[in-house]
Amino acid sequence: MSYLLRRLEFFAITLWAALTVNFLLPRLMPGSPAEAMLVRFHGRVSPQTVKAMEIALGVHSDQNIFQQYFEYLGNTFTGNLGVSLTFFPTSVAKVVMLALPWSLGLVGTATVIAFILGTLVGMLAAWRRGGIFDAILPPVLIIISAFPYFWIALFCLLLFSLTLNWFPLGFAYDLTSSINLSWDFIGQVVSHAFLPALTIVITSIGGWILTMRNTMITTLAEDYVKMARAKGLSPLRIMLQYAGRNAILPNLTGFAMSLGFVISGAILVEIVFNYPGLGFMLLQAVNGEDFALMQALFLLITVAVLVAVLIADVLTAWLDPRTREAT
Amino acid sequence: MRRNRFLAAMAALVVLASACGTSSGGNAQAKVGGTLTIDNESGGLWSCAFNPFNGSVTGLSVGIFYEPLVYDNLLTDKKTNWLASGYEWSPDNKTLTFTARSGVKWSDGQDFSADDVVYTFNLIKQHPELDLQSVWSVLSSVTKSGTDKVVMAFANSAVPYFFPIADQVSIVPQHIWSALKDPVGDSIANPIGTGPFTLGQCTPQNITYTRNANYWQHGLPYLQTVNYPAFTDNDPANQFLAAGQAQWGGQYIPSIDTYYVAKDRAHNHYWFPPIDNIDLWFNTTKAPLDNKAVRQAFAFGIDRNQASQKGESGYEPPGNQTGVPSPTFDSWIDQSAVSKYGYKFDVSKATSLLQSAGFTKNSSGVMQDSAGHKLSFNVITIAGYTDWDATLQVVADSLKQVGIQVKVQDLSSNDYFDKLFSGKFDLAYGSLNTQPGPSPYYELRNTMDSATTAAIGQTASGDYGRYKNPAVDALFDQFGATTDSNKQHDLIKQIQAVMLEDVPVVPVTEGVAWYEWSTKDFAGWPTQQDPYAAPAPWNLPDMEVVLIHLYKTS
Amino acid sequence: MAVPALASQEIAEPVEPRAGVLRNVFSSLMSNRKALAGLAVLLLFTLVSVFAAVIAPYDPHSLQFDALLPPSLQHLLGTAANGQDIFSQLVWSTRESLLLAVVAGVFATAVSVVIGVTAAYLGGAWDHVLNLFTDVFLVIPTLPLMIVIAAYAESHGVWVLITVITVTGWSYGARQLRSQALSLRNREFLDAARVRGERSLYIIFFEVLPNMTSLIVAIFLGAALYAVLAAAGLQFIGLGDTNDLSWGTMLYWAQHNGALLAGQPLWVIAPGLCIAALGGAFALVNYAFDEISNPALRPVKKRKR
Repeated sequence: MSYLLRRLEFFAITLWAALTVNFLLPRLMPGSPAEAMLVRFHGRVSPQTVKAMEIALGVHSDQNIFQQYFEYLGNTFTGNLGVSLTFFPTSVAKVVMLALPWSLGLVGTATVIAFILGTLVGMLAAWRRGGIFDAILPPVLIIISAFPYFWIALFCLLLFSLTLNWFPLGFAYDLTSSINLSWDFIGQVVSHAFLPALTIVITSIGGWILTMRNTMITTLAEDYVKMARAKGLSPLRIMLQYAGRNAILPNLTGFAMSLGFVISGAILVEIVFNYPGLGFMLLQAVNGEDFALMQALFLLITVAVLVAVLIADVLTAWLDPRTREAT
Repeated sequence: MRRNRFLAAMAALVVLASACGTSSGGNAQAKVGGTLTIDNESGGLWSCAFNPFNGSVTGLSVGIFYEPLVYDNLLTDKKTNWLASGYEWSPDNKTLTFTARSGVKWSDGQDFSADDVVYTFNLIKQHPELDLQSVWSVLSSVTKSGTDKVVMAFANSAVPYFFPIADQVSIVPQHIWSALKDPVGDSIANPIGTGPFTLGQCTPQNITYTRNANYWQHGLPYLQTVNYPAFTDNDPANQFLAAGQAQWGGQYIPSIDTYYVAKDRAHNHYWFPPIDNIDLWFNTTKAPLDNKAVRQAFAFGIDRNQASQKGESGYEPPGNQTGVPSPTFDSWIDQSAVSKYGYKFDVSKATSLLQSAGFTKNSSGVMQDSAGHKLSFNVITIAGYTDWDATLQVVADSLKQVGIQVKVQDLSSNDYFDKLFSGKFDLAYGSLNTQPGPSPYYELRNTMDSATTAAIGQTASGDYGRYKNPAVDALFDQFGATTDSNKQHDLIKQIQAVMLEDVPVVPVTEGVAWYEWSTKDFAGWPTQQDPYAAPAPWNLPDMEVVLIHLYKTS
Repeated sequence: MAVPALASQEIAEPVEPRAGVLRNVFSSLMSNRKALAGLAVLLLFTLVSVFAAVIAPYDPHSLQFDALLPPSLQHLLGTAANGQDIFSQLVWSTRESLLLAVVAGVFATAVSVVIGVTAAYLGGAWDHVLNLFTDVFLVIPTLPLMIVIAAYAESHGVWVLITVITVTGWSYGARQLRSQALSLRNREFLDAARVRGERSLYIIFFEVLPNMTSLIVAIFLGAALYAVLAAAGLQFIGLGDTNDLSWGTMLYWAQHNGALLAGQPLWVIAPGLCIAALGGAFALVNYAFDEISNPALRPVKKRKR
């Protein structure tokens, strides 16, 4: 119980610290939203127009920085995220919802697949020491995960989309479709998401396989595993329920963090495959000095990662009583 | 008076001619139908907002849903009456009267009238946030006269403002907008306009426009649907175009002959008409850049041909020192003045100019004068504009031979514009942030007229180098007071002479309208031989004119 | 996407006498095939960057050649869109790419060590605060941080990238170092040192750290790998100095000139392969290191049944 309380306290303080950093970060950048507007509008906007726009957009603040800070904290907790500058006049909440499902869907699913596949292969590699899985796969995978992501993505795009025409050239679904829940639409989503997901899995699976393999090997040397083998339990059962279950624990935190970071999108995926997502939106927000959108996205990422880590910590503590003593 | 009526008659004829089709022919057989896809990198997702006064989304609604009073071709300055069936300047050029066209309907069936025009302009007056063209900086009133006339009164004669007022302001329906609680903040998700298309569907990744069967130019448009997808970056957009999935592009495409044309030699074309200049700006308040001789040395020391070839792959022609883009505005260029000054890449001429000004090469090969001023500068540019970076490499290389050292500083977009607008730079590379116009006046004015600038540290909308020359300011004012074409040409000649003599900026290359098109399924495209509109999908409202000319061939 | 540092390092290590550690490590590395392969690649790149002027046939900045020439004997990989020889660029780029990897890796590791070990050693409130600090950095998004830092720097060069990579890359290692340092905190040899009257700083530097060498090396290798990929990614988006010569910026220019589709695929393939080779080398050595320090991980020959 005290462990849980300590973790919650940690969570709260880290959240507050991250929120404060998120508040300061946009304000530390050079230029101003007014100038960003001037640039974007390409017009002969007069100073009066700029001033009026600033007021309309709520950018020109008469409050000092502390007042703004407290207002920011208050707004965050009541869910008032403001209006986006880059996507004016759409509210930040609505803008984020344009891309959030796609980031969660694509990157989230790909990460989960990579983790599950990676963990299984890692377990297998550790179980069958000396076999093909163990001797050849890890070094090969190390090399593959050292390739820059966009490089692999570009080649996949070139090969599978442009040359072979097996997959569409980008976007999340066919251009003329509207978003609905028909089988046809779902089919489109899957076919458009296949290549981006494939590239994410290829580049990240290596890490999961290796970490799982190494923890598994160490676990397999433990006494209780030897005991299980001596008892004559089936290899599959030992691999999954005895060794695997314990070997996976150290990786849970890492996996949780990856899931949290899913929300930050995968900007390179979005650029190469022209996929709607939060990564590119964040870049746009930063470039457009869109404080409201930036803060909302930072907040989303921070909360997602912290919640994920908290859940992982709690899960680990529940599954492995030993960790409750540590720290 | 007579001349104006003659002009009005000509204008009417022009409308008739353009409505019936262009010299590209074949419009008699043009049938309604076809789906066109536009390829223009927009950077991300559509938020499905279509307010024509929202600078971020003008490209999605201006021309398509909302139309101007008079269409003024950006390349040729040819005026075509649009929502106005005629217009007339008063003799003192202080009053402009438009006649609202009859027989025009809004897409919800209501009639268009002069009331809508008056309402639109007064709406902008009431809400300065909507005044994207700063028209109320020169207008004093807009009122209705009679049943169908709109009278605009100016505080002082401002003839060049015809372009922003007549061509760039979108007319919106009074019966819809007067009921809006917040015209600035309303996203206008269901736009009602007079234009050739209505909104079919909008998703975050694509907008579908559908043909307006009740469009006032009967029989037009031919296209049934137009798709406008959202691209995050140039590369996916270019790939889409090259793969033939879009037919009309407005992109910078590298190695365009191999990348795009080679994919379908019979049908893929491109044309890049110059519309403005990409200049090397001098901070004329800082020594030694305040010295005219130094600036002239730059003008002789930059190899503009190489810059165009190596930096822009030859897509952007080299700039000329008059500041008037060629060949688009050739009729305005004073060839005798150009030959008199003879600006070209000439290392010895540049060096001798500097030497006469008291500079000598120091031990590291950099020119220095007795006061200790070294000709060594930073030039700011935008990170990500790879062609500008490549051009600046050429510029730096050529200037090095003269003894001028230039170091390139890539800044983030915000940082760059912050420094550019507030004058916090030695040298800056780039074009004017404001749009060009249908004659060289607009760009030249925003480059040199000190009325457009501000003190160092304040935000300037033009003349970033803080160049001050009262004589040239007066010339610009005189231009603004006359509708006489001969007088206008003469004034531009005098202004060019100042550009050639004082060199407030060095136009290195000319900015172009990126334009690619495929004749595989569609015809009616603007070409160099038939520039009936500025051809890029981001030229507003010219893109509407293109859209209503296009028709399906298969 | 960085390879997370191997979790096996969190298990307490057998304590070895200080002097023998480095010698043992060296001989073990030499007998491990993966390590040899990785080290060979690193050596190759080091040699190339030192002797770049000799190996590269032309000045990499020279614009004298025609643009987009196909590969030939004069231009092994062809020329770029502005006429620069791609092979010469590749050779000279080795310097900056290697520099980024090693220096950023070292800095990130150094910060990890300082914060992780200090947190473990000081304990109590300090530990709490430093842990909080580490966690906050763990969740800061890299990209906006990069842009903010870059916006403050006069130029976008190598040092800005190194700063960003260090700032975003230290927190993961710090956590691991802290847990290992915690487990070492109460060992007898440390008590002996304290009884002797040695100062805390001495104890940290000369007693604790040497026993964490293998973990520190592993973290450095992981950080170097992260640096290689992070730098490449950031430069690819254009957030580095695009006038610099490094593999990441080569990819940036290649992509923006449509190299793949415009018939100059080698311009994209070559720097990509080099980045993969460098990153792969660090990863291989890291992997081998793991095997050496944890005998259970060493390759096993399949027993004949």
